[in-house]
Amino acid sequence: MEKDKTTEVGIIGYLAFFFAIVMFSGIFAGTDSWLKVFDFNTLNGSFGTITDSVTGKALTFRGDNGAGARDGFIFAITLIPAVVLALGIVNVVDGLGGMRAAQRMMTPILKPLLGIPGATALANIANLQSTDAAAGMVKELCDNKEITDDERSITIMYQTSASATVTNYFGSGPAVFGFMICPLILPLIVMFVFKIVGANLLRIYLKMVNKRHMAEEGEK
Amino acid sequence: MSGMANTAAVEVQPKKTILDLFVDGARRGWTIGTMSLLPNVVMAFVIIRALDITGLLHLIGVVFSPIMAIWGLPGEAATVIVTSIMSMGGAASVAATLFMDGTLDPVQLSSLVPGIYLMGNPVQNIGRCLGIAGTNTKHYVPILVISVINVLLSIWAMRFLLVFM
Repeated sequence: MEKDKTTEVGIIGYLAFFFAIVMFSGIFAGTDSWLKVFDFNTLNGSFGTITDSVTGKALTFRGDNGAGARDGFIFAITLIPAVVLALGIVNVVDGLGGMRAAQRMMTPILKPLLGIPGATALANIANLQSTDAAAGMVKELCDNKEITDDERSITIMYQTSASATVTNYFGSGPAVFGFMICPLILPLIVMFVFKIVGANLLRIYLKMVNKRHMAEEGEK
Repeated sequence: MSGMANTAAVEVQPKKTILDLFVDGARRGWTIGTMSLLPNVVMAFVIIRALDITGLLHLIGVVFSPIMAIWGLPGEAATVIVTSIMSMGGAASVAATLFMDGTLDPVQLSSLVPGIYLMGNPVQNIGRCLGIAGTNTKHYVPILVISVINVLLSIWAMRFLLVFM
């Protein structure tokens, strides 16, 4: 297997992962020092304002009181810089080995938390960025008999709820980022926790179903 | 950035520089932003406008208000959850629209965010996630039901966490 190659992580990988956590956690958002540079929203910046000639109110180029498709179109345009910046940062972190560092750190945690073999860790990390690629890896694991059919379902339960977590969150989340009252990273952590909760709910369900099956077979 | 011009000069180099990595990712962001986010946002704005004009949004608000109250949300918030079954980007924009209308307050909006993604876009993911992996079809229903349970539990979890914000 190519397991050894993929789990090799240098110090740069860990630094990149740490950097991503700092960037999206907003811990330096409130500071007035140069550390502000390590904050996603600071780097994302702001649009210039245009003064409304009637009310004298400062408006962004989206304006005020728009509605329907036209308003949606302009609103979407205001969101695109955040998506471009976020996915640029994510790709740098990934390219420097940050995702592999995350996988390395998560492999020993995932097994007891999900009750599935550590071999699924790579697929579950791929799931942070891509739905299809990760699901394909799970199929391969099952085809190679590295996981059972039930373990596949548990892995897929983990993957499908909040699938492609990072890509989807930073790809469409900017629509609400400006209005949230919590750090950008908090919803991500909650999603991660409930991915694990969901997988365990399915685990319990499968255990109950299998027990009933066995009891029925015994009666026959 | 001044380094932008240099990226074109980097020729046959096996290892990508940080600038290359950023530009590659940013390009993907542009594709997602224009090809996925923008059409979904426009769809969401049109849906909300249509629901608003026909009075259905008000009706949804009244009908769902006793149920959504369990999660401390107004009835209209049901539109966010229903939209998330079809589109995460659409649901996020519906939530944004309801916030801008003043229907959702900042706490309510924030509490809905993880759920939009935890729903797992079943319309697409039955093919893309469950199908590709060859998941046992007997497990489809429990997987989809648990996704909904995840959504509902996450709203409570967020509300609890937001107390400390």
